[in-house]
Amino acid sequence: MENAVYQGLVGLSLAMYLWLISAGLTIIFGVLRIVNFAHGSLFMVGAYLAYTFYGVMGLPFALAILLSLLGTGALGFVMERGFLRRLYKVDEAYQLLLTFGFILILDDAVKLIWGGVFKIPPMPAFLDGSFNVVGRPYPVYNVFVIAVGLLVALLLWLLFEKTWWGRISRATAADREMASAIGINVPRVFSGVFVAGAMLAALGGAIGSPVRVAAPGIGAAMIIQAFIITVIGGLGNLKGAFVASLIVGVLSAYGTLYFPVFELFFIFVIMAVVLLVRPEGLFAR
Amino acid sequence: MNARRSVSYVPFLLLVLAFFCSPTYSQCKVGVPAIKVGAQGAASGPHSDYGRQIEMGSIMAMEEINAAGGILGCKVEVRFMDDENKAATGVRNARMLVTDWGAHFLVGTDSSGVAMAIAPVLAELKRIEFFTHAATHRLTEELVAQKGMREIVRVSVPVYQDAIIAALIFKDRKDIKRWANIGADYEYGYVSWNLFKETLKKFRPDVEFVGEAWAPFLTLDFSPHISAVMAQKPDAIFATPWAGEAVQLLRQALLQGVFDNTQAWWQAMGGSVDVLEGITNEVKADRFKGKLWATARYIHNWPDTVENKQFIERFQKRWKRLPNYSAETTYSAFFIMKAAVEKAGSVETSRVIDAMKGMNIRNPGGVRVFRDADHQFIYNVPAGRPVIDPRFPIAVLGDLKIFPAKDYYRHPPFTPVSAAK
Repeated sequence: MENAVYQGLVGLSLAMYLWLISAGLTIIFGVLRIVNFAHGSLFMVGAYLAYTFYGVMGLPFALAILLSLLGTGALGFVMERGFLRRLYKVDEAYQLLLTFGFILILDDAVKLIWGGVFKIPPMPAFLDGSFNVVGRPYPVYNVFVIAVGLLVALLLWLLFEKTWWGRISRATAADREMASAIGINVPRVFSGVFVAGAMLAALGGAIGSPVRVAAPGIGAAMIIQAFIITVIGGLGNLKGAFVASLIVGVLSAYGTLYFPVFELFFIFVIMAVVLLVRPEGLFAR
Repeated sequence: MNARRSVSYVPFLLLVLAFFCSPTYSQCKVGVPAIKVGAQGAASGPHSDYGRQIEMGSIMAMEEINAAGGILGCKVEVRFMDDENKAATGVRNARMLVTDWGAHFLVGTDSSGVAMAIAPVLAELKRIEFFTHAATHRLTEELVAQKGMREIVRVSVPVYQDAIIAALIFKDRKDIKRWANIGADYEYGYVSWNLFKETLKKFRPDVEFVGEAWAPFLTLDFSPHISAVMAQKPDAIFATPWAGEAVQLLRQALLQGVFDNTQAWWQAMGGSVDVLEGITNEVKADRFKGKLWATARYIHNWPDTVENKQFIERFQKRWKRLPNYSAETTYSAFFIMKAAVEKAGSVETSRVIDAMKGMNIRNPGGVRVFRDADHQFIYNVPAGRPVIDPRFPIAVLGDLKIFPAKDYYRHPPFTPVSAAK
């Protein structure tokens, strides 16, 4: 029993990374109708920037995360304004090609800037250590990740449900022609949403940087999981992404504990089951 | 370009070469414009330092060989490609390097999974590959010794180093009875764990193997794997994720207090430079409490020979870094190739293979002896515990446990070891 509780808590921290990366992906899809393959690459850029500001320049960890968000947000702004914007009117295949192209460009860019060698900064002192949960040491770091994930969930909910900007975004997502007709500046909403999504991806990369790794290729690893989450939760649905992240994170942790031999397929099994029962995802509109 | 057409280009190419090359290479005794060596390894992702090290070792060997007049008067050329740690890419690269670029030899390959995919293609390409990192015993034991694929040559020590030497070290630790495994979820991880279990059981029928967790490539978070095996209360952990993944794994294990609640952690290939760089701060602070054990396929602080010291100096001067083992094994593969080509007087595959018979060669990593039965070069590497040594900027292996190679290499006739979970 203790082991089950402990493993569930480990799964919860795993779920929060999944939530942070899939939140941005699903928001961007919901409003812009763009399947951003390069979303994992933004996660990677976030991790590298956090490594640079915190690990190389020695800034405080919280400030490094903030700067990483701003930097990745700026990159997102350039991607949306400079490139994606030109493709809203054309066939979706072009978006796939462009965003896939960004994966290759960003992967090579980080190799040029940071080299091929993986980067792991030192551990922030206040996050190093553990405390007892059911008689076993549970890392403070994982608690921090869970707290950040829940906080982001709360903030996003407030943002979309309670603010003017959130309402405009939802209106634009529902019907962009009508939104435009009643005077909403749709291109600006698109830019704002894309930047916010990029920052969410960066946050996932940045908070994990001291315990995970910044390396070329981690974006590709994350994007697959993020897509699985959004498919399970329903494309474009934020609540669905949150619930699906919890399901996948916690279940794959239990998979590692109880079915170590099949762990690799676990996440795909969950997706297959959901698609069989609800092909449109758990929370699709 | 078909063969006949390419022949018609030869005089023209020779003219061009005669014009551009220093006179040293004008009398290449094997009649090729240059001896071309196609190198490949994982140059992207968390394992990318290995590919980079294969590339650095190749280029440095090429430069040194060329500066000394080449091989039989022929200039050596290198082309490096990224195999992305993927079998399909590795096979495609091998084909491209040989058929399009005209490689006479292949060298490198990090992952066992990639190596097992390339190996069967070598006969068709009629090219030797000097494998300098991939570790599955099946590459040499099954494919060479049992199936007779002669084009496979391995310069690096196989999984014997990851598994058997670990069993030899821990067989005397009576306080360690319960072992758990955190494994790389592919061939290398399976064969390491199986071989370790098999060897340790022979000496210690009392040990138990109490838990396992498998992590595929590009696992960013090992915390569920660590907590899953810690749930079984093991005395010690056997771990095979390597490179950047080993660093993450060890640091995530520290966060879960693993080193307070276990007696030992065996980190296969934890003696590689990239891993040691990644855990230097933790070693300085004694976070592993002397319980971390590691090995590698060569370590820069052993053997204590002039060749090795000079190799390290030259490497640091050339690349501003310490070499990891794939740099040394790849560098040495070039000198093995040189010796074999000089003895054969040819770059022709079967003659070069014959020329390696009984070869015994001094490399930075020590004396390597070619075993005819399975084309495995045999040499010694110690295991030890990461320590801080003022002579080096990063942690190095200390408290070295040195075993004669014959004691921990498997010998023909080879009994099968399972390559499954």
